[in-house]
Amino acid sequence: MSDFEPKLVCFSCNFGWGYLTGGNGLNSQIKNWIPVACSGKIDTTHILDAFKAGADGVLILGCPEGDCHFQDGNFEAKKRVYLLHKLLEDYGIEKDRLKIELSVDPEGKRITQVVKEMGESIGKLGPVKKI
Amino acid sequence: MWKTESIGSARVEDAVKQFLPPCQIRCPINEDIQRTNVLISLLPDDPDSAKEGIIQIGDYLYEKNPFFTVCGYICGLCENDCNYTTKGGAIKRRLLKRFLSDTFTPYLVQKKPLDVKKDKGKVAVIGAGPGGLMAAYELSKRGYTVTVFDSSNKLGGAARYIPKYRLPEQVMDAVVDNLVRIAGIDVKLGVKVGEGGLDLQQLRDDGYKAFFVATGTPYARPLTFGTAEVEGQELDGVMYGLTLLWEVNQGNIPADYYKGKKVIVIGGGNVAFDVARTARRLGGDVTIVCLEIMDKASKDAIPADEEELVGAREEGLTIITSRGVRGITKVDGKLKLDCPLCTSVFDERGFNPQIECADCIDLEGDVILPTIGQMTDRDFLQNEALLNEVGRLQADPLTLQSKVEDVFVGGDVRRIGFLADAMGEGVEAAESIDRYLSGIDLKRGRVKECEPYDAPYRRAYRDEPKHKWVPADRRINFDMFEEGFTLEEAIEEGRRCITCGPCISCKACVSVGIQDDLPVVEVNEDLCSGCRMCVYVCNYEAAQVKEVDGKIVSWTDDLKCKSCGMCVAACPSGARQLVGDKTEGRIKEIYAAL
Repeated sequence: MSDFEPKLVCFSCNFGWGYLTGGNGLNSQIKNWIPVACSGKIDTTHILDAFKAGADGVLILGCPEGDCHFQDGNFEAKKRVYLLHKLLEDYGIEKDRLKIELSVDPEGKRITQVVKEMGESIGKLGPVKKI
Repeated sequence: MWKTESIGSARVEDAVKQFLPPCQIRCPINEDIQRTNVLISLLPDDPDSAKEGIIQIGDYLYEKNPFFTVCGYICGLCENDCNYTTKGGAIKRRLLKRFLSDTFTPYLVQKKPLDVKKDKGKVAVIGAGPGGLMAAYELSKRGYTVTVFDSSNKLGGAARYIPKYRLPEQVMDAVVDNLVRIAGIDVKLGVKVGEGGLDLQQLRDDGYKAFFVATGTPYARPLTFGTAEVEGQELDGVMYGLTLLWEVNQGNIPADYYKGKKVIVIGGGNVAFDVARTARRLGGDVTIVCLEIMDKASKDAIPADEEELVGAREEGLTIITSRGVRGITKVDGKLKLDCPLCTSVFDERGFNPQIECADCIDLEGDVILPTIGQMTDRDFLQNEALLNEVGRLQADPLTLQSKVEDVFVGGDVRRIGFLADAMGEGVEAAESIDRYLSGIDLKRGRVKECEPYDAPYRRAYRDEPKHKWVPADRRINFDMFEEGFTLEEAIEEGRRCITCGPCISCKACVSVGIQDDLPVVEVNEDLCSGCRMCVYVCNYEAAQVKEVDGKIVSWTDDLKCKSCGMCVAACPSGARQLVGDKTEGRIKEIYAAL
């Protein structure tokens, strides 16, 4: 288990995370980074496909409650994650493998830390069960 | 073989009907309010790093509106039409611009002059107020050599009457001094066109090819009762409020000028309140008397802004409503006002005060400051043959062209309005003069129909930030009593803007790289089941349904769509997609490599 490097897919909303880094954005800081215009754009199928493709965890970084540039996108994303947690548990995929963090971090200072922490908690769970 | 040329009526015209957020429709300059609100919300929260961003936003605003820093203190017309007004309070756009001004005003002296070849000929602007200076700026940008004439010793026109506790002198000075430098405008202060043999014909002989007359309303309106001028206005101790404002701003009035004196200001408008609160700050015990009544919902409502009424009361001023002034007399060294009751101010005939002479009170004071309106310099207009047969200044409302073909008029001289209104007319006059001197039709394509958008829906709206005023007992000076936004507050207020307007009028996100582009949403009508999930999830009413051959399918109103992708994610049938969006491709790539 100690050699296990969890594969994490990270979606982040451009209006809340890293928009002050300029140029290549957060590519250098996070592996498997997918920038989106709004966390509400992240489809359920995107998340399930990630697990199917072998991701051990999916992290969604959205904007704080009440602060979505597109009004309620982060609320939609939060709903989706909540419902997916229930669904994934039935398939034997632990809740902790899908995480949504709603905050604002224009310079992306905290991202490395957030990703690291999630990596550690996934590490304890081990590789994802094949679905 | 024909030759195609883009001149005259063969020129492509601007769109004449478009959608805009209501704030931009209200703004006489059509400032890019939404775009710059979003850009402010994206500033870093460290003041030093934010400077660079603020200068960029300021430079962008300056292009259309070199007075934007002044607007940050005394405008805010856009806020009256803001959609957020009914949902928690208008976005405080004026304070956002004041925030930008804090950094931009000191930077103005470094701003580089325009790089424009001035080879299109000479234009003269009469009046160096906001209207005249805007026209001069716009014409300079287009390559005209502009000379501005003003009879006073300062640039800025009517803005120079605004008390310093509402508009700091250095903000105004920085704007006008740098504007003439940046635009290369030739300035002739202390020169009154219409006096000393200098008239428009003389200027034509000197080679000026067109004129913009923006002489404003420099004279105070005398008090009248019915049709006659009120007796006693020439008595010692009676001075027009307008004169006081000018003299205070010139620095000619000592700090305790009205200490121990009872001052009565006649008038209920914003200027009367400027005069009254100025007199208070000079140590006076001030009463305001006006025809109108307090009830803001009435036809006879006192014209002054709510903020002025609240501020005045806090500062200890007394406001007496429903009173006219029939006469001024001197009794035992004091000035006595004869004030009958006014029972109605406006009726179907317009301004038509109804007076009840039997109900009359006396008001006593040491100083009387009538401030009931302003008038144009009619002699000048008359001598230049700009008045029509009934004695009115004639000007085409669309082109601002006067009776005389090379003379255009605008601003308060044409119709009394706000500072921004005069600026808007300066912009229009410049366009008219450019077309006139280029031989292009003056009217074509200039009527713009703009429809305002509603606010998008969201689950939770936020209240406006409370105003921050210095307590009234510490306001008896000419410093600004209103505190502006900190960087943090500005970012938060910028975020509160719900971007009512269409993407095509904004593009803030594209300009900073948050979105590469604005992909279009396409609906596959065969897959669409008509379930309306997209309609539910779209906050902008862009996703809608229609009936096609008896089947309900969804479609997207491109003009309202923000390309956020929420409808695409919400669609259970996968009937929607964002055409040209690179996200799907990137996801595939990453998943394949996992």
